[in-house]
Amino acid sequence: MIENLQTALALLTSWKLLLTIAICSIYGLFVGAVPGLTATMAAALLVPFTFFMEPLAALVSIVTMSAMAIFAGDIPAALVRIPGTPSSAAYTDDSYELTKQGKAELVLGVDVITSAIGGLMGAVILMTAAPLLAEVALKFTSFEYFWLAALGLSATVMIASSSPLKAGLALLVGLFFSTVGVDITLGLPRFTFGITELLNGVDFIPAMIGLFGVSEVLRNMGGAHLKFPITTVKAEHIFRGVAETLWRYKANMARSGLIGTFIGILPGAGADIAAWIAYAVSRRFSKEPEKFGQGAIEPIVDAGTANNSCLAGDWVPALVFGIPGDSITAIVIGILFMKGLRPGPMIFQEQPQIVYAVYLSFIMANILLVPFGYLAIRVSSTMLRVPRNILMPAILMFCIVGSFAINNSLFDVGTMLAMGILGYFFEANGIPVAPIVLGMVLGPIVEQNFMVSMIKSDWDLTQFFTRPTAAMLAVLTILTWLTPVYPILFRRLSRSPSAA
Amino acid sequence: MRVSDTVVGAGFVAAGALIFSGTLGYPTLEAGHPGPSLFPRLLAGLMAVFGGFLSVQGIRARDVTDEVAWLRLHRNPSFINAMFVLAGTLAYIFLVERMGFLLMGALISFVIMWRLQVRLLTAAVVAITFNTLAYLLFAKILRVPLSLGLLWF
Repeated sequence: MIENLQTALALLTSWKLLLTIAICSIYGLFVGAVPGLTATMAAALLVPFTFFMEPLAALVSIVTMSAMAIFAGDIPAALVRIPGTPSSAAYTDDSYELTKQGKAELVLGVDVITSAIGGLMGAVILMTAAPLLAEVALKFTSFEYFWLAALGLSATVMIASSSPLKAGLALLVGLFFSTVGVDITLGLPRFTFGITELLNGVDFIPAMIGLFGVSEVLRNMGGAHLKFPITTVKAEHIFRGVAETLWRYKANMARSGLIGTFIGILPGAGADIAAWIAYAVSRRFSKEPEKFGQGAIEPIVDAGTANNSCLAGDWVPALVFGIPGDSITAIVIGILFMKGLRPGPMIFQEQPQIVYAVYLSFIMANILLVPFGYLAIRVSSTMLRVPRNILMPAILMFCIVGSFAINNSLFDVGTMLAMGILGYFFEANGIPVAPIVLGMVLGPIVEQNFMVSMIKSDWDLTQFFTRPTAAMLAVLTILTWLTPVYPILFRRLSRSPSAA
Repeated sequence: MRVSDTVVGAGFVAAGALIFSGTLGYPTLEAGHPGPSLFPRLLAGLMAVFGGFLSVQGIRARDVTDEVAWLRLHRNPSFINAMFVLAGTLAYIFLVERMGFLLMGALISFVIMWRLQVRLLTAAVVAITFNTLAYLLFAKILRVPLSLGLLWF
């Protein structure tokens, strides 16, 4: 382990990688701080660049960018009451109310430090949990992988969305896209309509860029002239009073760090869900729940810790099983395949230096978050003043060139456009787009493992339930399907004693 | 671009039916076991069922499409702006080989910025500068074969 850590550290401290980390930090902070641009969109636009990087640099760039973007989303939440990314939405009202009370510096100071602490907690849990789970995963067969992917799909629909029905439909669309191309059993081309480019399936990267980049551009076409009344922040004062606040809420931070990482480990749920759950738990156990939403610092500590700790948690299923923890790690899996690396337990044995470097990059990114975050807060008012009517055409051109760059194919630009329209239409009608991406990544895993299991068990369905781990995963999956029933059950159970 | 859940649900039912019909000619495995058609058919079935539920939910909630907004779409500035983005991207796909990245990129950026009421001079300077930098980054540093088209010299 020590040897691997030393090798990873040597790899990480090369000047090229340090430069990549610095550039991706600035990129992540900028995207996170601009309302309307998400960390997932930033990751999608980063992919064409990772195509030209070494595998490690590609992974580190995503780690750094996402950590910075999730924190930077807190800046516009505090200054203009618009969350920079969905992960900051849970505590936007509290942040802005405190800003109105003249406490913007304290809010941003707490944001940057809790983000760093949360990220470090997540990294430590990732370093501890991932190798242990990888040992277990070595014993997995197609039956377990099928259930694990099914659990990921179910969690995406039932837990990670406010409308399971609409999320389910989005997921089915993603799964359908994953069936396009040559089938795994007989090599039959499915839904290709004679188009050669579709024989290998719908390319994941242009689809991602379209769903998250172009749809964002289309959505922002209406608010191009939006101007914010921005509060100016004295950045040199941001750390004043932070230590006392964090000491007071140290137990909250520990709890939310664990919640965030656990939510991250759950396949399909991302940082925004982690923040909302940590917020709800914080309110439940707070001595002053009535202050939540009115300018309380407590939910900012909790949710701010949870959303950054979730990022590392998301990497656990991605690295160990090849099952994405959220839409960003879905992109990471795409990058790993693009680089010829197969995520799964074997990566821990075959490429340990990559895994250890990912661990260390999380630690490095979260330590760097403090100075970079400080600088971002210093220039926050400038970042928030970048006119959208100039920014959006620039993003569109990046989307076009980025999609083309993967295969040097204009067909991919068309795919990006089609996905952009689809993403825009879905979002306009309350249908989330993240499940489409998870469906595209998990679809082949589900189908391949199901067909392999069926063929090797001579079409005996009971085999899916007879292996202990497979049975446990099956039960977990079925319990996830029943999520909408739990509130009704709890209500009935809580009523019954009083009725008696 | 909002449509009622009833209509969206019906759209998914139709999509499910289309996917199912697309698998009708697929062969089976040995002993008649389902092969390439199994997964798409399962998805098609679920899509139709979920879509049906969404339609019913829409009917129960009396969710209706704002027809007036749809009829006035051609006057909606956001929609027109979005159409410029779509037209620009399509123009890029069909013309970039002939015109080249620099010309097409600058033209598309300029037109969209003009549409978004950026001052003409600013739009021109930003469009040319940004696309030149993007060309240098992708074509010269990352070696992406971006066409020079009319600017081949």
